[in-house]
Amino acid sequence: MKTSENSTNSTQTSQPAGAMQKWATQSKKAQRWIHSRLFRTPVDILITCIISVLLLQFLPKVLAWLTWNSVAFWGDPQLCSEEGACWPFLREKVRLILFGTYPFNEQWRPALACLILVSLVGLSFTNLLRLRSRVIVWTLGSIAFFVLMSGGNLGLIEVDSIQWNGLPVLLMLSIFSVIGAFPIGILLALGRFQKEDPVLRSITVGYIEIVRGVPMVMVLFMGLFILPLMLPEGVNLNSLYTTLIVLVFFHAAYFAEEIRGGLQALPKGQYEAAQSQGLTYWQSMRFIILPQALKRSMPGNMNTLLGAYKDTSLVVILGIHDIMATAKMAYSEPQWQQYGVEAYLLVALWYFCTCLCLSTYSRKLEATEFKAAK
Amino acid sequence: MKSAAKLFAVATAFTMTAVQVQAGAVMDEIKANDEVICLVNPNSPGFSVPDSKGVFQGFNTEFCRMTAAAILGDADKASIRGIGFSDSMKTIVAQKAHMASRSITRTGTRDANPGMSFVVTTFYDGQGFMVPKKLGVRNASELGGATVCAEEGSTTLLNIADWFSDHGMEYKVENINDKSARMQAFFSGKCDVLASDLTALASDRQLAQTPNDYALLPNIISNEPLTLVARPDNVFETAIFWSFQVMLNAERLGVTSKNIDQVIADLDNQPKAVQRLFGKDSAAGEMATSLGLVDDWSYQIIKQVGNYEEVYEKHLGSQTALDITRDGTFNALVSEGGLLYPHPIR
Repeated sequence: MKTSENSTNSTQTSQPAGAMQKWATQSKKAQRWIHSRLFRTPVDILITCIISVLLLQFLPKVLAWLTWNSVAFWGDPQLCSEEGACWPFLREKVRLILFGTYPFNEQWRPALACLILVSLVGLSFTNLLRLRSRVIVWTLGSIAFFVLMSGGNLGLIEVDSIQWNGLPVLLMLSIFSVIGAFPIGILLALGRFQKEDPVLRSITVGYIEIVRGVPMVMVLFMGLFILPLMLPEGVNLNSLYTTLIVLVFFHAAYFAEEIRGGLQALPKGQYEAAQSQGLTYWQSMRFIILPQALKRSMPGNMNTLLGAYKDTSLVVILGIHDIMATAKMAYSEPQWQQYGVEAYLLVALWYFCTCLCLSTYSRKLEATEFKAAK
Repeated sequence: MKSAAKLFAVATAFTMTAVQVQAGAVMDEIKANDEVICLVNPNSPGFSVPDSKGVFQGFNTEFCRMTAAAILGDADKASIRGIGFSDSMKTIVAQKAHMASRSITRTGTRDANPGMSFVVTTFYDGQGFMVPKKLGVRNASELGGATVCAEEGSTTLLNIADWFSDHGMEYKVENINDKSARMQAFFSGKCDVLASDLTALASDRQLAQTPNDYALLPNIISNEPLTLVARPDNVFETAIFWSFQVMLNAERLGVTSKNIDQVIADLDNQPKAVQRLFGKDSAAGEMATSLGLVDDWSYQIIKQVGNYEEVYEKHLGSQTALDITRDGTFNALVSEGGLLYPHPIR
C-alpha cells in the first residue's frame, strides 16, 4: 500500500512539475525566438520599435473601423457613420457589384454562367479528366456560358453585351484570353527558338519584343481603334470581343517568353535523342521536348496567368465594366457616396481568394513535379 | 463629354458613312421591338447611375423614359444602357440604339455628322471654377497667378487658356487625369482652383469634408448645351422634341405627376392651354395621330415621368446631395430668366 501511495504521490507532484518545466522551456524558446528575430542587433531593435509604434497607432483604428464601430451586415444603413464600416451598403449593392446592369430578374443567368466557368477551372485543377475530355468539357462549358449570357434562344431574353458587367466579364476576359494566348505563346516560342528559318525567327522576335515593350493600356487602345479598320466592311465587333482578341495577343507574348525559357533549359541531349529516334520536328516537339519544357516553365506561366487575371481590370479604360468598375458604380449613387472603401474591400477579397487558390495550386503542382523528377 | 472630343472625332470619322435619312424607320423599329434603346453615361452621379438593382436612375435617364412613354405608352419600356462616350456615338451611327441622353455637348462639327441628329437641349452647362472660401476670391478675374487643377487633355484646358490670356493673367496648370487624385490635390491645397463643368463641380464639392468651405465662382467661361441625340428619323426627332416641350409646358402651367389626374377630371374648367395639352380632340391628340404616338402621350409623359421641374428637383435639386441651383441659371424657364422656352402646342 505504502509503495503505491508513494508512487501516486510522486506522480501527483511530478505532473505539475513537468508542466512547469514544459512551460519554462517553451517560454525560454519564445524568449530566444523573440531575441534572435526581433532584438538581436541595434538595427533590429530600431526596426522593431518603429513597426510596433506604427502598428499600435493604426491597428486599433483599423480594427475599430472594421468591427466594433461598424454597422453590421444585417443592420440599418441609416446608422452608418464615418467612424466605422457600413456593411449594409454591401447588402444593398452586392448584386450590382457582381452583375452590374444585367437585367435584375435575369441575374440567375450570369450567376450560373460564372459558376460554370469557376467549376471548369476547378475541375481542370484536379486529375479527373484527361486532355481530350478536358477539351470537350471546356467547349461545352464555354458554349453554355455564352448562351446563358446573351440569350435570344431557348426561351431566354436577349441581353445585349453592353449590359454585361461585373464578375462574368472579368471571368470571361481573363479565362478565355489565357486559354487563347497559351497555344499562340507556344507557337511563338517555337518560332523564336528554332534556327532553320531566320525570317520566321525575326518575325516572332519582333512581335514578342514590340508587345512586351509597350504598356498594356496602349495595346488596348491600339486594338480598339485599329482592329475595326482591319475587319471587312459591315463586320462590327463590339468592344468586349475586340478587347478579348487584344488580350489574347498581348498575353501570348508573355507566355512565349516563359515557354522559351523552358525550351532553353532542356539539356541538348534531349533534342539529339529525339532526332536520333527519327522523329519529325513536330513529333519530337509533341512527345519529347514540349512536355518537359512546359513543366519547367510552369512557375513563370503561373506568374503570367496571375498577372493576366489581375490586369484585366485595366479594361475599364475602354468602357468595359468589370468588377472594379461596378464597385465604383455602387458608390456613385449620391446617397451611398461615402462607402467606396467597403466596395473595394469586397473586390479585394474576391481577388485575394481567387489568386490564393491559383498560387496554392501552382505550388502543389510544382511540388509533385519536383517529387516526380526526383 | 468634352474631354473625349478627340476620341469622338476619331470614332465618328471611322464610322461616317452616308446614312439615309428615312422618315419613320426608327419609329417603326421602336414599335416593332416594343422598346426604346437609350444610351446613358454609365457613371455620372445625379445624371445616370445604376441603383442597387442595376437600373439606371438620374436626370438624363428621365428623357429616355419620356420618349418611351410618348411612343409606347410605358416609360419602363425604355431600355437604358450605360456606355462610354465614343462607343455611344459609334452605337448610334451603327444603328444599334435609338437615342442617347448622356450630356453630349452640341457642337457644330458633331451636328454635321449625318449619322446622328441633335434634337433638343435638356440642360445648359458651362465651365466654371471652384475655390476654397478662405482664398477670398469672389470673381474669376481675380485669379491671377493661381494654380489650376484640371483634367488632362480636355477642352477644359483650352477654355482656361482662353480665359486667362483674355484677362492678361498668369496661371499654372496641374494636369491630373484621375478624378480622385485631382480632388485630393485640390482639397489638400496643392492647387488654388478647380476647373470643370458647373455640374461636375457641384458634385465634386460634396466630396469635401466640409463642402461649405468651398464656393463656385459666378463666371461661366464656356457654353455647353447638353443635348439629346437621336438616330436620324424626322418623325422620331419630332416626337422627342415635342415630348420635351410637353414637360416644359406642364411646368409653366403647373401640371405635375401628382395633380394631373385632378386636372384631367376637371379639364373643361382648365385654362385653354391645359386643354390643348391634355384634351382628347386637342392639338396634342392631333399630333399623336400624325406622329404615331399613343393617344394620350402628353398625359403619359407627365403621369409617368413628370414635368421638367419635378425631374430636375428629383435628381439635381436642393433636396439631393448634388444641390445644383436652378433659379437664376440658364436652366430656368424663360419666364424666370432662363433659356428653357416652352414652344406652343396648338
